[in-house]
Amino acid sequence: MEKSDTLKFAGREFRSRLIVGTGKYPDYRSMQRAHEASGAEIVTVAVRRVNLDRTQESLLDYIDTKKYTLLPNTAGCYTAEEAIKTAFLAREVGLSDMIKLEVIGDQRTLFPDNEELLKATKVLVKEGFVVLPYTNDDPIIARKLEDAGAAAVMPLGAPIGSGLGIRNPYNIKIILEAARVPVIVDAGVGTASDAAIAMELGCDGVLMNTGIACAKDPVAMAEAMRYAVLAGRLAYLAGRIPKKLYATASSPLEGMIE
Amino acid sequence: MELMVNGKKLEVTVGATITTVLEELNINPLRVAVQLNLEIIKRKRYEETVLKAGDRLEIITFMAGGSE
Repeated sequence: MEKSDTLKFAGREFRSRLIVGTGKYPDYRSMQRAHEASGAEIVTVAVRRVNLDRTQESLLDYIDTKKYTLLPNTAGCYTAEEAIKTAFLAREVGLSDMIKLEVIGDQRTLFPDNEELLKATKVLVKEGFVVLPYTNDDPIIARKLEDAGAAAVMPLGAPIGSGLGIRNPYNIKIILEAARVPVIVDAGVGTASDAAIAMELGCDGVLMNTGIACAKDPVAMAEAMRYAVLAGRLAYLAGRIPKKLYATASSPLEGMIE
Repeated sequence: MELMVNGKKLEVTVGATITTVLEELNINPLRVAVQLNLEIIKRKRYEETVLKAGDRLEIITFMAGGSE
């Protein structure tokens, strides 16, 4: 693989095309080991009140901020206003100027509210944030988010935590053809092949959390995902054979024994 | 005097600043953002921001999680 095949956005460069999360792990130690096994360089975090019970462990004790780039998210926000407020607080912590923008439209599907998402993207881009919006596989909203200044677009593969994989690869392909910023599939990855499929389509990266954190062995799954993203990317760059209805023989017909 | 910190009542000495409250709560100021009565306070102003009775402080940090 070319040494220069890196994930680039907003003036930054990353060797790993896998982005991981911090939620739903059995404990912080397994989260830390899973992060290590995944080879990820970017880790998403939620923006929440400090736990005033100081006997509780702190997440940031388990993430080496010199090694990982933190990507705060606006999880739990249902309006542009809430997401914008959360983004400002996240930036104020001083550990990241990137924001994974989630504006949720519905509690059961956790699908994005694209109208509010677009509003929030415009405001935050203007305020100098590096905005990575979580959206759905609609090429129209992907184009609008890109035009609004999003540093990447992040279409879901399937509902968050559903493990259903890439439900609409055709739409993702259409998004990829038109996009001038990186396209990172975010949500729905259930196992390694899902991540590989996203990369084979030509996606620039995959973001996942539940697929790893809730696997029976999160550390092993993190490693699997690392290889899946690498394999999918290599396969994409290698140029696959076309799909055909009929066989094409590999061996020549001359010199056949009669 | 009484403040609200992260939704809970907290007794502090009169004249307490954001810095003293963080110290008392054993919170590292480099890992948090602070909002006082709906206004985000920049870190360099923690020491000079004197709190009044009834002030509402939100002390925010990064926690594990995402939409779920």
